[in-house]
Amino acid sequence: MNNLKILVVDDDPATVSLLERRLKNAGYEIETADNGAEAVRLISKCHFDVVLTDLMMPGGLDGMGVLEAARQMSNRTEVILITAYASVDNAVEAMKKGATDYLQKPVNCDELLLRLEKISNLKTLIRDAGDLREAMDITEANAAQTIQNLEMEVARLQKKLSEIRKIVSE
Amino acid sequence: MSCEITPDEFRIISKYVCDITGIHLDQGKEYLIETRLGGLLKEYGCSSYSELQHKAGTDPDKSLERKIIDAITTNETLFFRDTAPFELLQHKILPDLIDLRAAGSSGLFPIPIRIWSAACSTGQEIYSIAVVLKELLPDPKKYNIRLLGTDISDAAIAQASYGRYNKFEIERGLSQDRLHKYFTPYGDMWKIRDEIRAMVSFKKMNLIQPFDGLGKFDIVFCRNVAIYFSRKDRERLFDKIARILEPDGYLIVGSTESLTGVYPGFEPKRYLRSIFYQLK
Repeated sequence: MNNLKILVVDDDPATVSLLERRLKNAGYEIETADNGAEAVRLISKCHFDVVLTDLMMPGGLDGMGVLEAARQMSNRTEVILITAYASVDNAVEAMKKGATDYLQKPVNCDELLLRLEKISNLKTLIRDAGDLREAMDITEANAAQTIQNLEMEVARLQKKLSEIRKIVSE
Repeated sequence: MSCEITPDEFRIISKYVCDITGIHLDQGKEYLIETRLGGLLKEYGCSSYSELQHKAGTDPDKSLERKIIDAITTNETLFFRDTAPFELLQHKILPDLIDLRAAGSSGLFPIPIRIWSAACSTGQEIYSIAVVLKELLPDPKKYNIRLLGTDISDAAIAQASYGRYNKFEIERGLSQDRLHKYFTPYGDMWKIRDEIRAMVSFKKMNLIQPFDGLGKFDIVFCRNVAIYFSRKDRERLFDKIARILEPDGYLIVGSTESLTGVYPGFEPKRYLRSIFYQLK
């Protein structure tokens, strides 16, 4: 199931519309922004599972700025950066700041879809783990109350027993 | 090379694990050995678990033994795990303890508060305790606070000591308010602030060995550790805890653990949703 909600950010309309079409065809829910400021506005308004953003964009906010904004808003948003040139330094810096991945332009759509599928699988696993923990917490809380009641009762009976023993021995 | 474990092999390796950690693995826990130690089997080029055990036992610098300990111990923990014990600490134990100690003190010296998180794993419990103290005591100079976290796993102690947590660890149990108050972003991770870090010290320690030189404590958290031990080791553990606890000290165990019938020296007492133990 492709259940991810993705924000595509790029100042080049051709790239945006190509990515939007391919990702929608693959079943993802897509929103788009053509600059960093618009992207940050959208990120602050609703939750995205993935933000796919160009690194170099005109205006005050580039891909790095979008990454930082996304990181601040939610730990659960994965950010993939698209870099126009083979710049490992930029990519490393972005990964250090919390980017999940980076892709080089021109974007190979098959490669992108593979990476999104991995993120989607990971999200499903994380949700399953969360569900299991939730179930465990509820079970544990119920068990704890039962055990605590028994614990107090046993302590009360032990006290009584030792009192009776004392009386008997006297 | 197969990772599938035979009954003989399981007996050998689980005895070894129990000897070095106290963790008691019953039959039916073969999968735990396979999933947690299977990687080391490959890494050390061993064809069987008995070979791995032999290698670990004869390894002069004990690095393999440490790796086995890191791999086999369960580090499931979170900030403010099961909120009840922290409410207990904040609303009952600390106020009572401070009243008691203040009444008995000349006022010239700071009041000692010594808390030990036995099997602290990656530090979440003892840091949660530090946060409670920080929020409860407006004037920390009036107190002589000693917070100690110990664990058998080098890897767990190292992470606890760094005080760095990834986004999955940090999300669990911590409110946004406390997250921003007590942590700073550190690359893709979060780091505990120095003021909290400085309150806590960490030490590697194996709970099945003697507690030499540990000192006395007012409060001991020993939650969800004894559950992995055999009955005998459990009795010994709580006996040792009884000896390092102040006569009016407090012991907190896991919410589903029970001490009556395991160690008779403690008496359970109830406060709201939790139970704590004091020496009889």
